[in-house]
Amino acid sequence: MAIVEVEALRKEYGDFAAVEGSTFSIERGEVFGVVGPNGAGKTTTLKMLAGLIEPTDGSAVVAGFEPGEPAMQRRLGFLPEESPLYEDMTPRSYLAFFADLYGVPRDVAHDRIERTLDRLDLEHRDRRIGNMSKGMKRKVAITRALVNDPDVLIFDEPASGLDPLTTNYIIEFTRELSETGKTIVFSAHNLFHVESICDRVAVMNEGRIVASGTIEAIREAHGGTEYRVSATVDASEGLRASAPDANGPDVDALEVHRTNGQAEHVVGDMAAVEAIRAVVEAEGGRITDIQTRTPTLEEIFLEIASESSAEETEP
Amino acid sequence: MTDGRDPDAGGADGIAGSARPAEAETGGLRGRVTRTLRVARWEVTRSVGTVDRKTILVVLAMVTVAGVVGLAAVDEGLALESELYVVGVDEDDPYHDVAVESTAFRPIPLSDVELEDGSEDGNVDVVIADDRIGHVGTNGEAAYDAFRGAVETYNERRMAAEADETAAYPVLVTLEYQDRDLGDPVGGDDLVDDEEDSTDLEPEADETATDDGADDDAVDEDDSGTDDREHGADGEVDDGDGQADGAGVDSTVDDTDDDELAVPDVGGGHAAEQTAPGTPGTLSPPFPFQSLVLAFLFVVPMNFVIQAYGSTIMDERIQRRGELLLVSPAGRLEIVAGKTLPYLLGLVGISVAIALAIGGGLLSIGAAIPIALAFLAATFTGAMFARSFKELTFVTVTISVVLTTYAFVPAIFTDVTPIALISPLTLIVLDLQGDSVRLAEYLFSTGPLYFGAAVCTLQGLGVYREEDMFTQKAIPSKAVDAIVSQIDAISRRVHAYASPFVLSALFIPFVFAAQLLVVAVFFAVPEAIALPVVFVLAAAIEEFAKSIHVYAGFARSRFDASLRVATVLGVLSGLGFFLGEKLTHAVQFVGLPELTVGVAAFGPALSSEPLVLAALFLAPLVLHVVTAVVGALGAARGRTSYAVAFVLATLIHAAYNLGVVSLVG
Repeated sequence: MAIVEVEALRKEYGDFAAVEGSTFSIERGEVFGVVGPNGAGKTTTLKMLAGLIEPTDGSAVVAGFEPGEPAMQRRLGFLPEESPLYEDMTPRSYLAFFADLYGVPRDVAHDRIERTLDRLDLEHRDRRIGNMSKGMKRKVAITRALVNDPDVLIFDEPASGLDPLTTNYIIEFTRELSETGKTIVFSAHNLFHVESICDRVAVMNEGRIVASGTIEAIREAHGGTEYRVSATVDASEGLRASAPDANGPDVDALEVHRTNGQAEHVVGDMAAVEAIRAVVEAEGGRITDIQTRTPTLEEIFLEIASESSAEETEP
Repeated sequence: MTDGRDPDAGGADGIAGSARPAEAETGGLRGRVTRTLRVARWEVTRSVGTVDRKTILVVLAMVTVAGVVGLAAVDEGLALESELYVVGVDEDDPYHDVAVESTAFRPIPLSDVELEDGSEDGNVDVVIADDRIGHVGTNGEAAYDAFRGAVETYNERRMAAEADETAAYPVLVTLEYQDRDLGDPVGGDDLVDDEEDSTDLEPEADETATDDGADDDAVDEDDSGTDDREHGADGEVDDGDGQADGAGVDSTVDDTDDDELAVPDVGGGHAAEQTAPGTPGTLSPPFPFQSLVLAFLFVVPMNFVIQAYGSTIMDERIQRRGELLLVSPAGRLEIVAGKTLPYLLGLVGISVAIALAIGGGLLSIGAAIPIALAFLAATFTGAMFARSFKELTFVTVTISVVLTTYAFVPAIFTDVTPIALISPLTLIVLDLQGDSVRLAEYLFSTGPLYFGAAVCTLQGLGVYREEDMFTQKAIPSKAVDAIVSQIDAISRRVHAYASPFVLSALFIPFVFAAQLLVVAVFFAVPEAIALPVVFVLAAAIEEFAKSIHVYAGFARSRFDASLRVATVLGVLSGLGFFLGEKLTHAVQFVGLPELTVGVAAFGPALSSEPLVLAALFLAPLVLHVVTAVVGALGAARGRTSYAVAFVLATLIHAAYNLGVVSLVG
């Protein structure tokens, strides 16, 4: 059952469309990643879901309510990219205020805050926030996003600007949250993090969603598995001459790299591998190595981004 | 209310727990009030946390000292000259009493006087012996002059205390303050004629010398003047000469005194104090110095409080701190109300304390509250528009100067002219003088500030959202955005084209307040200069109010920039303004059109002629529509065209005002 439904969401600033007709849905308990380059419209999309920005057009339903409705806000935890905290307050007083604002009973709030801070290993809970490190502040901000025990969490670059240790800590904590049944909308520049915790992703570029689905499906659609066949002879000529059949191996995308007297043939399907092997044997050579390689999300993302940008600039 | 437990919540690992906020609490009015109070409580806690105890103590000490010094200055003066000079005089000398009564002198017996041989110094400044007065040392000359003055004061006091008045004052002068002749103030030759009277801002002392030294009637007249002043508040008619006896003595205005909304019984307090005989040196114009200074005490803390208030609003906008509040269940109105409430309550508390300290009543507090609201609302909007704390400083200083001027300057004329009623501070002065004020007069004084504060708050709220409050736009651009947010709100509820009508009407309080301020500022300027300036300024204010929202709509692409749309918007704007402007006819009821500059700003009083009335009713409608269309056509074509159109509309409007006033006035 979808807990987030987005339909043709659009945001314009004057003549500039920051988000153009985004449509997607997120199932309850899912971790949904939103990725894309700077200015792709990720943060605008997340803020529209959080009720911070009013869409120009389209609709969104989060936890059964339209963004901005108090009932929806009570079911939402939002962690913006920056963690603007009140530096004169202590973590305890700061978190207690937000719990109070969300109507969480004081005793419940106290238990929840202490448990979350325990889990995040945040000490110095009565120290002035202004005197804390960036990582500690981030932990306070994450705890604040959880004070109302939300159904849906929107994490916009939760590990932005943090050291690797704290980053891993926060990614691990996010994974734990997803295991408790929270629905998490997650945005990050570091695609490794997205790949490691997201069930599905939407790739955005220039305001539009250019690809979406599970990471495997996207990989399949925008890259798939790559085969690298190393041989003592270059089989490209023979391969092209012997494979004019449309049903034969796909040799159009064949790439050949020559190194140390070896020829590395890069192809996209097993049929092409078999064809290379046949040509090499026919030319008296031999196969020295065959490797398979799955592209990373980052590589797929770069490919999609360049493709969509090229489409955009075509007349 | 629930116990905060949600059976549906997971919380399998206990990280986030299993409780959910109480649902019922957040709905409806109760929920809104609760959230507002939570924000208010947090604002207090947070603000207190940002100020260290030493600063609080220093501020408290400064406020206490300022209050004590202020009250002492008003009550008795600062006594800086207490026992400044030493007088050598024996107790049996007649001058001894002078030295004793004057606080500037300390008498010592002649036997204690020590004069250094060969030197001009000694332990005294003035020496009195054998009916001769001499001075000693470097301060001697100044001391001598001061002592001569003290002798005169002493003699005057003795004369005033003399039982046989005739013996003390063989010649009596009856002092009677007269209103200026304000009939037919503008137009034709009368304008020139009037100027002689009108430019004399001091109430004229109609000195009627009489050699009837024993004329008890003269004294009675003074007494009756005092009585009339007291009754004047109840609307009694002065049948004397048909004119107001003036600001100082009798405030009943004219034969229309039985009008429900007549000018209040302004002034008189000062004259009442002068019913006892005095010398010319003891006479002073009807300037309510003491009440004015005390009334000003209400405004002083507002200037400080808005600094803190502006900072807290600005603080939410720095580094996007306010974003987290915006994403909470609290709406922006609740957030702003919660953040404002402590400062408003603080100002109300301070006002109550000041009122108790200086003897003000509920009227004083009721007059101080709209001023406080205006200060806070303007600061809120200013803080929402400012891009940095540096800009905020400029904004708050501007607000302080403008609102303090608006409150204080008219109140100076409390005992002189009804123009004083523009300011709520006048109500405080009247309250301190013991004069009563009618509800209509209270509404006239405070209405523009109440409405202005409401509209300012709406403007600020319009940009209290993520898209506007964290962007670094110039103040004019933010102002345009704020107006556009209101256009959007009206568009959602009614129609985009309804916004010019509604906003033109909504801006009326600002127009009214701005024009009142113009009148107050130029009241004291010679009419030859004041009239043309007021004509143009009054027109410019109105044209700005009619066109700025149309320009904002075009600038942010809310309207199609076509000739037809601009014309429609202009017509609707003019119509809305015309209807709203009718509200300003309240000025008719408090007598501002009796003033020349009042006529220049608000037009002449309504005529009783039906044709004239009809013309006066329809002509402004045509004017406002025409000039609004001019403004809208310019606005549709961009900023430069808008500026040109605005000037053109202002000139048409000013010419119209001048024509109407000349013809009808």
